Amino acid sequence: MSKKIGVFVCHCGTNISATVDVEKVAEEAKKNNPGVSYTTTYKYMCSDPGQKLLRDKIKEEGLDGVVVAACSPKMHEHTFRNAAIKTGLNPYHVEISNLREQCSWVHPDKPTGTEKSIDLVRMMTEKTRKDKSLNPIKVPVTKRALVIGGGIAGIQAALDIADGGQEVIMVEREASIGGHMAQLSETFPTLDCSQCIMTPKMVEAAQHENITMHTWSEIESVDGYIGNFDVKIRKKARSVDLDLCTGCSSCWQVCPCKKIKSEFDMGMGNRTAIYIPFPQAIPSKPVIDRENCILFKDARKKNIKPNDSKVCRKCIDACPIAPVKAIDYNQVDEIVEEKVGAIIVATGYKELDDTSLYGEYGGGKYKDVITGLQFERLASASGPTEGAIKRPSDGKEPEIVVFIQCVGSRDPAKGCSYCSKTCCMYTAKHTMLFKHKVHHGHAFVFYIDIRCAGKGYEEFSQRAIEEEGATYLRGRVSRIYKKGEKLVVLGADTLTGSVVEIEADMVVLASAMKAQDDATKIAQAVYIQYDKDKFLSEIHPKLKPVESSSAGIFLAGTCQGPKDIPETVAQAGAAASKVLALLSADELEREPVVAKVDRSPPPVFSTCIGCFYCQKVCPYSAIESEDIKARDGSVIKTVARVNEGLCQGCGLCAATCRSKSVELAGFNDEQIYAEINALEFN
Amino acid sequence: MTEENKFEPRIVAFLCNWCTYAGADLAGTGRKEYQANVRVIKLPCTGGIDPLFLIKAFERGADGILVSGCHPGDCHYNSGNYHARRRWNVYKPLLEFCGINPDRIQFSWISAAEGAKWVETINGVVDTVRALGPFENYQKLNTIGSDTSVSSETG
Amino acid sequence: MIEALRKKAEELLKNKTVDVVYGYGEGSVPERTRPVFITKPEDVNKLTWNKYCVYNLTTYLKKQEARKLGKPAIVVKGCDAKTITVLIKESQLKREDIYIIGVTCTGIGDPPATKCEACDVNTPLIYDELIGEKIENKEFSFDERYAELDEYEKLSEKEKWEFWQKQFEKCIKCYACSSICPLCFCDRCIVDKNQPQWIDPSAHPRGNLSWNVTRAYHLAGRCINCEECQRVCPADIPLNLLNKKLAKETEKNFKYRSGYNADDELAMATYKEDDSEEIFK
Repeated sequence: MSKKIGVFVCHCGTNISATVDVEKVAEEAKKNNPGVSYTTTYKYMCSDPGQKLLRDKIKEEGLDGVVVAACSPKMHEHTFRNAAIKTGLNPYHVEISNLREQCSWVHPDKPTGTEKSIDLVRMMTEKTRKDKSLNPIKVPVTKRALVIGGGIAGIQAALDIADGGQEVIMVEREASIGGHMAQLSETFPTLDCSQCIMTPKMVEAAQHENITMHTWSEIESVDGYIGNFDVKIRKKARSVDLDLCTGCSSCWQVCPCKKIKSEFDMGMGNRTAIYIPFPQAIPSKPVIDRENCILFKDARKKNIKPNDSKVCRKCIDACPIAPVKAIDYNQVDEIVEEKVGAIIVATGYKELDDTSLYGEYGGGKYKDVITGLQFERLASASGPTEGAIKRPSDGKEPEIVVFIQCVGSRDPAKGCSYCSKTCCMYTAKHTMLFKHKVHHGHAFVFYIDIRCAGKGYEEFSQRAIEEEGATYLRGRVSRIYKKGEKLVVLGADTLTGSVVEIEADMVVLASAMKAQDDATKIAQAVYIQYDKDKFLSEIHPKLKPVESSSAGIFLAGTCQGPKDIPETVAQAGAAASKVLALLSADELEREPVVAKVDRSPPPVFSTCIGCFYCQKVCPYSAIESEDIKARDGSVIKTVARVNEGLCQGCGLCAATCRSKSVELAGFNDEQIYAEINALEFN
Repeated sequence: MTEENKFEPRIVAFLCNWCTYAGADLAGTGRKEYQANVRVIKLPCTGGIDPLFLIKAFERGADGILVSGCHPGDCHYNSGNYHARRRWNVYKPLLEFCGINPDRIQFSWISAAEGAKWVETINGVVDTVRALGPFENYQKLNTIGSDTSVSSETG
Repeated sequence: MIEALRKKAEELLKNKTVDVVYGYGEGSVPERTRPVFITKPEDVNKLTWNKYCVYNLTTYLKKQEARKLGKPAIVVKGCDAKTITVLIKESQLKREDIYIIGVTCTGIGDPPATKCEACDVNTPLIYDELIGEKIENKEFSFDERYAELDEYEKLSEKEKWEFWQKQFEKCIKCYACSSICPLCFCDRCIVDKNQPQWIDPSAHPRGNLSWNVTRAYHLAGRCINCEECQRVCPADIPLNLLNKKLAKETEKNFKYRSGYNADDELAMATYKEDDSEEIFK
């Protein structure tokens, strides 16, 4: 039975009608096409009266197929399909012909544009003729979320979800949550102490009844789909039993390996082999650094179990827990499996640390050339110098400090073309922190542009210059070299056109924020996209800023791109609200654009021959094998079957199948054939 | 005007929904003018484009075809375009081996942000195919049977 | 060799290792052989082996009539044996469900078949029992393997088109090519799908082109060069040239040769991030 199709051509004000003869398009749509029973044009189809017109005509004319010739389907496909639903017409019988973005706006010649529009409408009409009713796929939702990363983004997101009444599994690969924010001294533009605002949140997260925390753990794999993810978490061997340990500190106080560079202090201070990363760590329980601990080194050398080594047992001996000690040298990695309905990736950034990139700044050989995060540790009250500004080489208080901005950022030659966004502000903050601690000191800043967009930001940077006396020089530093105890900084002041030479005691590089080294590994584990700089990609840069390319997986914080704390917190909150919305339903509705493998009546059962090329190419492991069995239980045929919950609707299987036994709903063989066949070139 | 000048190539473009289709939309939003010879067929992913679609488009009289999707590494479905690339890497030489000019089937990666590249690419396809002339060889195949039937009826 | 073959077949049938032996039997004239299906030990003398054993018997693995006879032992030459590797990789066969009687071969046909010119599988790469003296398999360069294509690749675009149109014009759509092909095992061939009908099933030049191109493409990364399609084509279309062209592209682009390795991933079901970008703008 042939369909009754209605064609609605939109003027879009004059956006379409100025260069397309819309009346002619409507007229031609009907001509020689008995299937088209109604055509009209309207000023604005997307307006309320426009939608009403659509609804009324579907009912009055008994239409069972609709083509709206208007703007891109990305704009209003949803609008018109929803309008159809209200009339009882299955929304997948509504198709959009893109007359605006891909015709009227790009082809100013009216006859040409009209001719093309007629073709586009005919192609879509033919597709519509083959449209089938599709029903949303319902999938149950596991009411629990996974947050990957325990920095401020992860903590905020976890707290928001937990406060909303849903369970959260939090995974942090370091021994403590806290991330980079815990490393910072003060925060701009208020200069409040970072740890003072961060640690209460860490404690809150740790104590929240809805949050389960896995520190010193990493994501092993993620399978499944929105509402139903299966997550494997590798709990790395900590060598300490978290249930038994009380964090009394006896063990790390006696550890003889004291000269290990502290990662938390960015190498500015030392730690022991059994350690907590920083005093406020959560959990406040240690981990053994198996690379550096002499007992583990000995065990590796002798190829024996760690517990059999007798080289050093100071920590276990000091452990007051009895009868079973809280330290277990033989502990092994453990895989924990969790089911979750939604995932937030909040894996953060790393500071550009490849000093070899900057040979002109000493390439890492000058101890007194440090990075922004190293300066944070110097200025932090909990840092290696307890907040006193002392230069690394000799511990002297520097009087002249040069800050260089855009190190790595906005420098395509060195790999990052983007702006790291936070450095202008933190450099301004650094000059102030320095000035507050070394009153007679002087800060020089080399900058390219000062970018301080944000509430109170411009004022903050002006304060650094005007009130705190930092000297800002617009230009790049070409070279740093050592002269006695001083570092000579050679730069240009492009505003005066002069060469500047400053004899500095210390230099701070405002190093770029980069994607984590293993960002792509995480992206691939959870099937989301990343950009050229390895930052994880949101699906729409404006309208879907926290949604990843995989449904049910959201992004928060600097894993998505450089941002400061307020922005990170806001994004984490946004991601959390998306998760809460997702978890609020018992069932999810998904677009039914999924693949389906042919099933036929006996004796064929399925035209699928079971070569499983489709299974091999499927990016989502959505193809399963199914045994078609006879009554006696014997297998007649093994064929492919699509797991609708996993299928994301790419159609790769359909194009790979030689016998075309797999088809994609919404883009099935007949629909595409009809569209191609409607090309009236001959 | 001579006959030759009248030839306007008929181009069919198979585009992925996420990158090139969005790129073509962006060209529209930016009001970037280009030649109107192209008819676009949208699919979710280049990985879902079966070589049969191309053959069918030629059968329907296309003079040239463009297949375009997300850049490698950027596929919305992770690996759809990688599989597509494999497919075209063997299919195009096969058609060439059969005597089809390689410029009649072109492939490109155009992201959602590359409206300008879409304009440049589609204009390029139109121009190269215009220079090649109509795909008469293929179009003749269509009419072989009908010619006979016409002559037998009249004769 | 024939004696050894018959003895092995007898033993396999007697021990019930297999239910049937697919092999070659003598034909109506000495220059011909025919496929035989031996199910009784006393019939093994019907088996033979000579240079006229051209068939690739693995094609019977897709035929229900043959499969009904039970677990097979199959006599294969080196080229035919590659099919089995592909069938296993494509889930059409389990290794344990077949007994492979490999025969060493120095070339078949009179004059010898084209495929024998650069044969690098005189001794099959996969077998349970080898009949005949093991022959050290030769190695050929990429160019030598595809030398047959040179004269066709050299043709101008116009010449290519005309050559192939002349060939395809002859096609009567008898589908002998796909019936004989051991790897054309779909239950429903794409040409038989009529909703929609992508390929015109009538013998018309338009449909002939799409059929022949699609048939070849569906063997990309799969064809093992047994040349059976070409041998059986009643219209004498050099079908294997198309298959070979695809084999060449598959090897050039993906370093993949079908049927040589049981463990590597099927070329058209995988990808590498650094696959050629040459044709993409």
